[in-house]
Amino acid sequence: MSALVLALRNAPAQRVDVGSLNPTALAGLSLADIAALTLSVGKRTVRVDDLFELSGDDSSDVVFRGDCSKLERIGAGMKSGRVTVDGDAGAYVGQGLLGGDIVVKGSAGAFCGTGMKRGRIEVTGDVADFAGAAIPGDMKGMAGGLLLVGGNAGERLGDRMRRGQILVSGNAGDYCGARMIAGTIAVAGKVGAYPGYLMKRGTLILNALPAQMLPGVVDCGSHRLGFLSLLYASWKGLPGPFGALDASACTVRRYMGDMGVSGRGELLVRGG
Amino acid sequence: MSVIKLTGGRVIDPANGINDQVRDIYVKDGRIVAALADGDKVSAEYNVSGRVVMSGAIDMHTHIGGGKVNIAREMLPEDHRGDPVARTEVTRSSCGYCAPGTLAAGYRYAEMGYTSCFEPAIIPMNARQAHMEMGDTPIVDTGGYAMLGSDDFLLRMLVANEDQKSINDYVAWILHSTQTLGIKVVNPGGISAFKFNQRKLDLDEQNAYYGVTPRRIIQTLTRAVHELGVPHPLHVHASNLGVAGNVDTTLATMEAAEGRPIHLTHIQFHSYGTEGDRKFSSGAARIAEAINRHKNVSADVGQVLFGQTVTASGDNMSQYRNAAFASPKKSAVMDIEMEAGCGVVPFKYKDQNFVNALQWAIGLEIFLMVEDPWRIFLTTDHPNGAPFTTYPHLIKLLTDRSFRNAMLDTINPDAKAMSNLAALEREYSLYEIAIMTRAAPARILGLTDRGHLAPGAAADIVVYTENADRERMFEKPDLVFKDGELVVRDGKVVKVVRGNTHVVKPEFDRGIEKKIEPYFRRFHSVRMNNFKISDDELCECGGGSKLIPHACGKRS
Repeated sequence: MSALVLALRNAPAQRVDVGSLNPTALAGLSLADIAALTLSVGKRTVRVDDLFELSGDDSSDVVFRGDCSKLERIGAGMKSGRVTVDGDAGAYVGQGLLGGDIVVKGSAGAFCGTGMKRGRIEVTGDVADFAGAAIPGDMKGMAGGLLLVGGNAGERLGDRMRRGQILVSGNAGDYCGARMIAGTIAVAGKVGAYPGYLMKRGTLILNALPAQMLPGVVDCGSHRLGFLSLLYASWKGLPGPFGALDASACTVRRYMGDMGVSGRGELLVRGG
Repeated sequence: MSVIKLTGGRVIDPANGINDQVRDIYVKDGRIVAALADGDKVSAEYNVSGRVVMSGAIDMHTHIGGGKVNIAREMLPEDHRGDPVARTEVTRSSCGYCAPGTLAAGYRYAEMGYTSCFEPAIIPMNARQAHMEMGDTPIVDTGGYAMLGSDDFLLRMLVANEDQKSINDYVAWILHSTQTLGIKVVNPGGISAFKFNQRKLDLDEQNAYYGVTPRRIIQTLTRAVHELGVPHPLHVHASNLGVAGNVDTTLATMEAAEGRPIHLTHIQFHSYGTEGDRKFSSGAARIAEAINRHKNVSADVGQVLFGQTVTASGDNMSQYRNAAFASPKKSAVMDIEMEAGCGVVPFKYKDQNFVNALQWAIGLEIFLMVEDPWRIFLTTDHPNGAPFTTYPHLIKLLTDRSFRNAMLDTINPDAKAMSNLAALEREYSLYEIAIMTRAAPARILGLTDRGHLAPGAAADIVVYTENADRERMFEKPDLVFKDGELVVRDGKVVKVVRGNTHVVKPEFDRGIEKKIEPYFRRFHSVRMNNFKISDDELCECGGGSKLIPHACGKRS
């Protein structure tokens, strides 16, 4: 068996919803069945084989090839299996993911990992704004699982995040962890202004102070937190800097906020 | 001139007492005719032999327009992005499952054989918006009921003990000004009482500010509607919606009509007792017995079916109570121009939840225990009990006892034990389904040219292939004609036409405007003359809808 490869014939001019082309939805379908499925393109529909050249037979391992930056909802809602994007992906990668792995060997568009509950998304490049955040109308963003970002994250990373972990090897933009309900976000590089805006609970782990701190986030002094050594140990072996952290280096400066809401969120700046 | 012939169909037309007789039907220029005149040439003949022919179905209570539906649409973007409808050669793109866009609503209704839909809760101040939305709903005829009972002007009239004639004039003026087909009252006086911090209002409890009781509002308005000769009785959403024990309120509300015609809407939500360990039980038997006994009472059920939906109601008091149960957790409860209120709460009915499962059973019990299908109507109170697209499933539950009992076995066992549904043997016949979805709604709304197939009727005709699985049969008619035009073939829209708007224009004394005009100048956000919707404006905002006024026989 070889991976099911969906190679774009041409880069689409409009956004295409490819959420249905995931291992869970395609299980048991023949190549001809898959070719005959229809996808939403704006207000129209197109057949899968009008857009893609299909090859391979293992629908539990789906590979997208070509310029996929207009393909949206890649791997949405899948329960198991693997989806790989050879290059950049569009918005809503892994929306509502329930299990399995998604690997983007490039950068991903906005709302990457929104509403995911389990599983793992790895983006080797950057993620655009609102990664792990809630789509307008939804009550929560990421709700479980692991989102690994090799490059930088845009603004409002983890907005309304409810559970799960986001690890960013590069920098994160402004309003990181805004309105966060719970969960963990760690950023190895620099963080923009106002992290933790209206944050209720949850943990932000940073390597340095952000560009601008909110007045509602207050300094609670230096602490040695035992749970961090367990957390770091659980990350051991992951790609990027978090996979190689010294589990004993668990002294941090703790900030609590946002006092404008319940104030039970924490920003932990490593090194104390 | 177009002449259509439907040859050899099995006609079910209860309004004319025709039950499954093989007849040819002729349609000339959108109307049914008895036979062709000399020189008429049939332009299209459809061989429908062996197939079931009925008039177009009528939904007499469905929330498809007005402010609250738009609030529901805005509040649930996930409902819209989760259910996209692509454009085709004849239809436009749309979206939405429980609060669909206007286009999807019209297409889906037509594709199920519905040709007329009535919006039951038009707040007078929102009438223009509601008519625009309904005008944007393709294919089906529309109309609405204007909502009174918590509006300041009427309550002031009651406080001032104004005579019934003045109130009749005001009610008639509202019908004219809002271009509606009937009058609805929602939690009589309760929407107003909520604003004075009352969180419940029983039938004989006074509004804290006006001192008016719901009973008095119902008495006054049933009398007004009756005396004006409006065909549709007062459309009543009674007090205490959804409260355990409200069956007593509902029975008392029937009595409050004092023998005048009254229509109790989504009565399932008003049929709850307080027996059992959980103090929540079925009041269906008492309700059905009362409807059977009171010939002046009619009701639509408002059946609950399991799944995600959104509840949208003018009853801010009950919606404020329900907001804690919202799923997903978001809601809106608001005042609208001091005339009425509005509450929108998304809701998921679960078959394993005791209360939801019992609500499901109570609705079915009412359907099966009310003997006269002319006085009980098939609704889910779309979208409050379930979206209207579940109607074929509901028809199967009513017509197929073994299917019903199989479903009953899957629900919450405690709820099953509290219901006598398993013992009810009744199965609705096709004739009875045709009564409750066609003939009876047309009759109770006074639509003389709809809901039947006699010569002179509008050619709203549906052709089904009979199928023992009634859900399959009713979800996909073979042919649907709207005013003589073929609009649906094999369950898919093939032509989009524009529906008509049904209204009533009772006689009244224009002198009432001398009181209304200064009131608007002092209190309202618009002037009286801008509030009124003219015939020309209605047709224009309906994209060229035809206005069909129905006769009123004045009784005072």
